[in-house]
Amino acid sequence: MTERFDQELDWGALAPLRLRARSAAEGLWAGPHRSLRRGAGVEFAGYRAYTQGDDLRFLDRHALMRHGLRVVREFETDTDRSVRLVLDVTASMSFAGSRARGAKLAFAAVVGAALAWIALRGGDRVALEFIGDHGLPLPWGTGMPTFERIVSALEHARAGGSVSPERLTQLVTRLGRSSPAGSITVVFSDFLDLPASALEELGALSGRQRALVAVEVLDPDEIDLPFKGPVRLRALESDLVVDTDAPRARADYEAALAEHTAKWRDGFVARGARFLRASTGEDPGAVVRRVLEGISGAGA
Amino acid sequence: MNFLVAAALAVGALVVLPLVAHFLRRGRAAELPFPPAALVKATQTSTRRERHLEDRALFSLRALTIVGLAVLGATPLVRCSRLSLARGAGGSLAVAIVLDDSLSMRAAPKGKPSRFERARDAAARLLDSTREGDSVAILLAGAPARVALAATTDLALARRTLKELAPSDRATDLAGAVSLARSSFASGAGRERRLVVLSDFAAPAVPAGDPAPWVPLPALAERLPDCGIASAERRGTSVAVTLACTNAEAARGRTLELLAKGTRVAKLGLEARGGVASVSLAVPPSAASPLSLRLDGEDALTEDDTAPVAPDTVGLGVAVLADQTESGAVTGGAPLVEQVIGALERDVTLHPLTVVPDQASELEHDALVLLDDPAGLGPEAREALTTFVERGGLAAALVGPRAEARRIGATLEPFAFGTVRWQLAPAAHGANVASLGWLGAEARSLGELKPQGRTLLDAGHAPGTRVTATWSDGAPFIVDRELGRGLVTTITLPSSVEVSDFALRPGFVALIDHLLDTARRRRGLTTSVAGTTWVFGSERPVIVGPDGPLRLVESPDRGRTATPSLRGSYRLTTERGEEQRTVTLDPQELTLEPSPPPAGARNAGGAPAGQLLDVSAELAYALLALLALELLLRAVRVDARPGFR
Repeated sequence: MTERFDQELDWGALAPLRLRARSAAEGLWAGPHRSLRRGAGVEFAGYRAYTQGDDLRFLDRHALMRHGLRVVREFETDTDRSVRLVLDVTASMSFAGSRARGAKLAFAAVVGAALAWIALRGGDRVALEFIGDHGLPLPWGTGMPTFERIVSALEHARAGGSVSPERLTQLVTRLGRSSPAGSITVVFSDFLDLPASALEELGALSGRQRALVAVEVLDPDEIDLPFKGPVRLRALESDLVVDTDAPRARADYEAALAEHTAKWRDGFVARGARFLRASTGEDPGAVVRRVLEGISGAGA
Repeated sequence: MNFLVAAALAVGALVVLPLVAHFLRRGRAAELPFPPAALVKATQTSTRRERHLEDRALFSLRALTIVGLAVLGATPLVRCSRLSLARGAGGSLAVAIVLDDSLSMRAAPKGKPSRFERARDAAARLLDSTREGDSVAILLAGAPARVALAATTDLALARRTLKELAPSDRATDLAGAVSLARSSFASGAGRERRLVVLSDFAAPAVPAGDPAPWVPLPALAERLPDCGIASAERRGTSVAVTLACTNAEAARGRTLELLAKGTRVAKLGLEARGGVASVSLAVPPSAASPLSLRLDGEDALTEDDTAPVAPDTVGLGVAVLADQTESGAVTGGAPLVEQVIGALERDVTLHPLTVVPDQASELEHDALVLLDDPAGLGPEAREALTTFVERGGLAAALVGPRAEARRIGATLEPFAFGTVRWQLAPAAHGANVASLGWLGAEARSLGELKPQGRTLLDAGHAPGTRVTATWSDGAPFIVDRELGRGLVTTITLPSSVEVSDFALRPGFVALIDHLLDTARRRRGLTTSVAGTTWVFGSERPVIVGPDGPLRLVESPDRGRTATPSLRGSYRLTTERGEEQRTVTLDPQELTLEPSPPPAGARNAGGAPAGQLLDVSAELAYALLALLALELLLRAVRVDARPGFR
C-alpha cells in the first residue's frame, strides 16, 4: 500500500535530518538530546550546593579553596528522545481520490516511517500506535530492528471501521501513561468521523513537557471537491449519503472544510500542540520536513 | 410472416430495456465514497432534473439502435409499404411502366391528390428503387397508347421524362399501352421483366399475356362520381350537348347552364340517370358568341364540368363515282361503296357523281373523292382532281377492268401512270395479310380473296408512290401517292361482286373506314375527340390551343401532324387562312367506371412481389451511424461524467 509513496520519498535526503525539540527530553539512555538530568555531560549547566552523596569529582575545588563554599558543578546530560507515531486507521483513511497516488493511510505511513527512520538513526526511541482496530501497536524500541518492525507494522495496517469514544479514551489513557516527559507524539489523521470527544482526548497528549504534532492528512479531492455534475456522496464511517450538484455545493463545502480544520487547529494549538495539514498530493519528503519543523517548535 | 421474421421483430421489444434502465437510474446519481460527505450540502432536486435531461439523447440513440437491429434482422422479409421493385435473382430488371394519362385519371377524391398525381408519384418511387443497369420504358395509356420513353438504361432521363408528364383529356387505351409495354421487353433480353400498370382501369379488360401486369396502386380503381360535358355543338338556334355521367347519383340535382360571354342565358336540369345523354338548349337570339357550357355542383372531376360550344359544322363531304350496274348489289339499292359508307354511320355527306367534275371548285365541300372502276379521266377531270388533291383532299380509285377500256385521251392519272392492265385469272390468291397490318384485324379477310381478275400497275413510274399493300405474289394491291397536301390512293380491285367478293368482306369495310378517317384527318376536323391526330401533310399551320401553342410532329408517312390532348377550342392559322377546331371528350371515358385490377395483379399469381423491400444495406449504414453518434456523444461527455473532471 505504501509502495507508491515509498518510491517517491528520497530517503537519502532525510539523512541529515534530526529530531530537535524545544522541550527537554527525559530519556533513560544517553542520547543527542538535552536532558533535564544533570550529570556526566560536557555542557556546563551551573552550580548547586553540595549535598551528601554527590560525586566528589564534580565538587568545585576552586570555590572551596577561594571562598570556602562547597558547591558542585553540574553539566547537562545528553539523553535519547521518545517519539510515538499514532496513525488513524479508521475507514476514512482508506480514501484515495482521482488525483492522489494512494490512500491517505499509505501517505501517513510513509511519512511516519520516514520520521521513525530519522528518530532511530539519532538513537531515539520510537513506538507505534493506531487509532482503530486494524493496526498492530509496537512498544518503545530503538535501533534498526525496530525500524524494520515499524515498517512491517505500517505495511500490514489496514484502514477500516471506526473508533468508539470509549476505545479512544482507553487509547489516550494508555498513551498518557506510557509517554515519558519530553516525548513527542505525532498523530496522523484526517480528523473526520472521529468521536466528538476526540479533540479533547488527543489534545491531552500535549503538555506536561510532552510535544504533540497533529498532522491532518487529506486527499486533494477532499480539499476542493472537484466533482462535476450531480453526484451521490457516501461517507465511509457512517450511513450518511448526500445527493448533490458538486459545482453548486463546492463553495459551501470549502467553507465547511475550512471551519472544520480551524476547529481542530485551534483546539490543538490551545493545548500547546502543533497542527499542520498535509495533502496526499504533496511530496512526502516535504511533509516530513514540515513535521520536523513542527516538532522543533512544539512543547515547552 | 414466418417464425424468423416474428423472432427478429420481437427483438424490437427490447427497446423497452433502455427505458426501464433509464427509469431505474433516473434520480440516482453515481455514488462515490467521500469521507467528508457530512460537510457537503445536499442539492437533490437540481440533481434529478439535470440527470433527466442529460440522459435523453443517449436513451434515444440506444432505442433507435435496438429497433434498427430488429428490422435488420427481419429484412428483407419484412413487408414495407414503400413501393419498390423486387429482384428475384438480384440481376438487372427490364421495367415497363404503363402510366394512364387519360381524362379519368384527373379525378381526385376529396382532399386527396388526383389519380394521376398519385400514379406519377408511385412511378417515381419505383424509379427510385431501380439500379444502374436496369432498363426502363414509360408508356402512356391515354388513347391512342403511345411511348413516352423507349426502353433505356438512362435512369436520369426516365426521371426527367416522368416529371414532365401531365394528365390529358384523352380516352383510355390501356390494352394498347400494355401491348406496347410487352413489346418493349424485346430489347431487354436477359433481364427480369416487370410490367407495372398505374391506372384506374376505367377501360376494357387488359389482355392476358406475359409478363402479367403488376398493379401496385389498386386504390386508383376507387369509384368516384362524375358527370361531365362530352361535347357541345351549335346547331342553328340550339346547342346540342352530349352529357355523360357515371351514375344517377352523380347527375342528381345538377343543372346545365349555357353561358354567353360568361353570362348565363339558358339552363336545364339534369335527369338523374347514369350513362350518355343528349340534350338540347335553345340559344336566345341575343346571345353573343363565344358560347360555353357549365355544370353546376361538385364531383370528383371538375375539368369536364365546363366546355366550349363548337360552331356550326357540316359533315364530311364524300363524292362517290360508281356505276350502279357494275358496282351495285344484286338486291338493288345504292352502289356497294355508298352502302358501306352509309353503314359506317359517320357524319358524312354523300355526293354521288355521275362524272368526275371538270372544275375543282365543284369538289370544294368534299374531303374524299372515291371512284369505283373509273373508265379513265379526261384532261379537265384530271386537272380538277389534281387540284382537289393538292389542296389537301383524298382521292381514291378502285381500279377495275374498265381501266383497259378507257376512251381515247383518257388516262388514270393521278391514280396510275404508265401501263395499266387488267389481268384475268391471276395466279395470286388473296392479298398479303402481313402488308395490310395497318388495316387491323379485318385485313385477314382479304387474304382469302379469289378475284376473277386484278389490275396490274406500273408503280415505278409515279414519283412519290408508295406501295402500302401487296398481293400474295408481291404485286401492288394498294398504292398511295402524296400529291401536294393531299393523297391519292389506288386500289387494284373494284367493288363489283361480279369480279370478286372484295366488297363483301370485312376488310373492304375497314378499308373504306380507313379512307374516311384519312380524309377526315387530312381535311381537318372541326370537331374531334382529344387524342385524335390532325394530319397536315406538307402544310405548316400554327396551332394555338387552351394551353398555348400546339407542337407539330414530323411523321415520315403522314407529314406534319399534331395531336391535341386537351379539350377546348384550337385556332389554326394556315396559308389558306384561319380555322377553328374544337376538341371534345370521348363520352365513354366519362361513363366507364373503374373495374377491379386483374386477379392476382396486386402481388401474387406470377406478378413480381414488389412490396418486399430489402433495406439491409440502408439499415446497416444507419446502425453504424447511430453507433458512431453514441461514441461521439460519450467522447464529448467524458469530462462531464459524474464523479470526475
